Amino acid sequence: MAESVQDNVERGDGDNVKTENFFTLKKWNAVAMWSWDVECDTCAICRVQVMDACLRCQAESKKDFYGKQDCVVVWGECNHSFHYCCMSLWVKQNNRCPLCQQEWSIQRMGK
Amino acid sequence: MSLKPKRVDFSQTWDILQQTVKGVITLADVPRSTWNDRFTDVYSLCVAYPEPLADRLYDETKHFLDDHVSELLLGVSKQGDASLLQAYHSAWTEYSQGIDYLHQLYLYLNQQHIKKQKTTEAEIIYGASCAAAADYQEQMEIGELGLDIWKRKMITPLKESLVSLLLAGIHGDRLGKARHATTDVICGVIQSFVRVEEYKKKGQLDLYQQIFEEPFLEDSGNFYAREASELLQKSDVSYYMEQVSWRFSQEELRCQKFLHSSSAPKVRQCCQEKMVAAHLSWLHTEADVMIENERRRDLSFLYPLLRPLPSGLAPLIRKLTAHITQQGLRAIGTLQGDNVHTQFVESMLDVHTKYYELIKAVFKGDQAFISALDKACSAVVNHQPASRQPARAAELLAKYCDSLLKKSSRGTTEGDVEEKLARSITVFKYVDDKDVFQKFYARMLAKRLIHQQSQSMDAEEAMIDRLKQACGYEFTNKLHRMFTDMSVSADLNTKFSSNLREREGQGQKQLGIGFGVYVLQAGAWPLGLPPAPGPFHVPQQLEQSIQAFETFYHAQFSGRKLTWLHPLCQGELKLNYLKRPYLVTVQTYQMALLLLFEQCDTLPCKEAAMSLGVSQEQLEKHVVSLIDCKLLKKSPDGELGEETTLMLNLDYSNKRTKFRVTAALQREGPQDAETTHRSVDHDRKLYLQAAIVRIMKSRKLLRHNQLVQEVLGQSKITFAPSIGMIKKCIEALIDKQYIERTANSSDEYSYVA
Repeated sequence: MAESVQDNVERGDGDNVKTENFFTLKKWNAVAMWSWDVECDTCAICRVQVMDACLRCQAESKKDFYGKQDCVVVWGECNHSFHYCCMSLWVKQNNRCPLCQQEWSIQRMGK
Repeated sequence: MSLKPKRVDFSQTWDILQQTVKGVITLADVPRSTWNDRFTDVYSLCVAYPEPLADRLYDETKHFLDDHVSELLLGVSKQGDASLLQAYHSAWTEYSQGIDYLHQLYLYLNQQHIKKQKTTEAEIIYGASCAAAADYQEQMEIGELGLDIWKRKMITPLKESLVSLLLAGIHGDRLGKARHATTDVICGVIQSFVRVEEYKKKGQLDLYQQIFEEPFLEDSGNFYAREASELLQKSDVSYYMEQVSWRFSQEELRCQKFLHSSSAPKVRQCCQEKMVAAHLSWLHTEADVMIENERRRDLSFLYPLLRPLPSGLAPLIRKLTAHITQQGLRAIGTLQGDNVHTQFVESMLDVHTKYYELIKAVFKGDQAFISALDKACSAVVNHQPASRQPARAAELLAKYCDSLLKKSSRGTTEGDVEEKLARSITVFKYVDDKDVFQKFYARMLAKRLIHQQSQSMDAEEAMIDRLKQACGYEFTNKLHRMFTDMSVSADLNTKFSSNLREREGQGQKQLGIGFGVYVLQAGAWPLGLPPAPGPFHVPQQLEQSIQAFETFYHAQFSGRKLTWLHPLCQGELKLNYLKRPYLVTVQTYQMALLLLFEQCDTLPCKEAAMSLGVSQEQLEKHVVSLIDCKLLKKSPDGELGEETTLMLNLDYSNKRTKFRVTAALQREGPQDAETTHRSVDHDRKLYLQAAIVRIMKSRKLLRHNQLVQEVLGQSKITFAPSIGMIKKCIEALIDKQYIERTANSSDEYSYVA
């Protein structure tokens, strides 16, 4: 079905073939929201939502001009996630996940 | 000529010298050679051998001057009152000039003989030794000696008659009866009182102040007190002030003309005391009426009169504050209609401009009055019509900005809009509930951005910059993030379409529709979305686009998930089943609903809801909007229900071939404002609690009132919390065991670590 609609559109653009369909979709202006793909919305270290910059960054960002997303999220092998800034301070003291006490190793970084 | 000291016969030399002295002091013609010879004589006397004769010369000269002045006095006092001043003046003019010359003639005596004995400056300043003070018979330079003799022999005996004549003369001048000739005389005589003691290092003006200034001020005081009471009896306040102002300026000129410059402030003060301060309470009462009726002319007379008095302006300022407040409340009290927001802001600005101008013109932009204006405006803007009702300024102002920034057909130019927005900041500064404004503004901005309703991105940005200037970075942080999302999305769209073109080259199919997307950052946008019950079944026609974009997006970023905000998405459908093709813009849900009719002619509501994956309730909203615009028909007529059958209206026609169906959720309800207020309330509580914890953490121990004061101080920038709210927050924190009441006092708290 989808394909036939597409075909129609292409032919419809040619404009000399009469379309059989009732409707032709011309344009779609979509709105989507992105968020970090995390299990828990809050960073367990600074207690701020991971979508927002961590506490430190918020305090410093007063100098920063636009709300750039510099404060990214990091996932450990244990699949727990934190602000990267918070975690890099944390591992200096204790190289374990604050939530599950597993040895901390980075699985992936948000970008 | 020899400079060598030699024996000199004093009497012989003095006899000759005396002739010349007389000539000099009476300004007679003294030939240069004579002058030179006498100059040498003074020298030889001073250095005479075997004994210097300077002291004798000094004594003889003094004696001579004494006699000379006494003679002059006789001459002057003979004249009688009528021309006493005149005679004194001409005697003084001659004498003062002569003594100057004489001083030159005795230069050697002055410099070599007398300077040595004079007390040094330091001694005068730090208190001369008792001996020097007691023995004031020390020798003076000849010029000074002459003046001193004048003072003792001439001024002292004449002063009473001189001063009373002077006062009479000045009085005449005040009444406008002075002749020009006397002006010079009066001025000269007064100056002589100053000149005669000018050489002194300390208390130069003593004589002048004592014999002339004091009686003069007293006399002036009497004159003006009389003048004031006469004016009061025969005139109203306007005329009175006019006259007083005129008197002041006249008196100032008179000071310049006659008196020593040090007297001017004293005279001014004297006038003020008699003509303004003495009638202050009356002027204040009159001022109330002037402000009430905004009599600019009167007020501009009144202001300079009252300003110098310590408490002169305070009642005026109070009255003006009350008046502006009253006028402001009247201006915004009766607003009604669709554009209340415009009326509100613009009448507020009118009031502000009007009184700002008035203060600038009438009160010379006095800072005290400007702050009165601020106080009044802030009272008006934050006025609560009823005690429980929140002030609406924040909401109205946000709406006003929205109406300016939105695309509109109302032919306003960009410059116009800019100017109005810039002016609206004036009102913004008075709004206490800046956080409420921010909430409303953010919501409206989000709508403008997503629905592409912004008139100009430059204007939007300029406005945010203004808000940032007024309130700081934190206040506009989220607004900035919304903006960033917009530009990031524009980038993404370009990249996406070039990516598509590349893949098309590799045999991949095109999407076949114009696809654009805004990717918004969660948390930055104030989008109150209803929770979607169950997954919405995206129409097949869209699936390919969604998938292609998601693949593209995940390749660009990692660790992110996308949520499609269908209520905010819009599609453009071409309707092929009617006589003419129409292009209609609809929301995704409505589009999906319409697309269902691709396969069937009629559809029961229940089935439609199932195929779309939305609840019956939600479906009905969308159906209603489509029926309202006559694209769909229902049967049977009446209330929609699960069993109602829907069908396309095949006879649809519209003058316009391109139109938009209002989305069900886009309509703004009154509950919208209410939710905003509620969420602001919630944010405020968190803000206050955080503030209390911060304060308590640094202070450890604090009394209730101090704590409340500090909280008020911290929150001032964004909103003005009520005391009740702060109390509630304190109690909440006690419950949560962040702080506790101390054991010894009921109104003291301590921080629990």
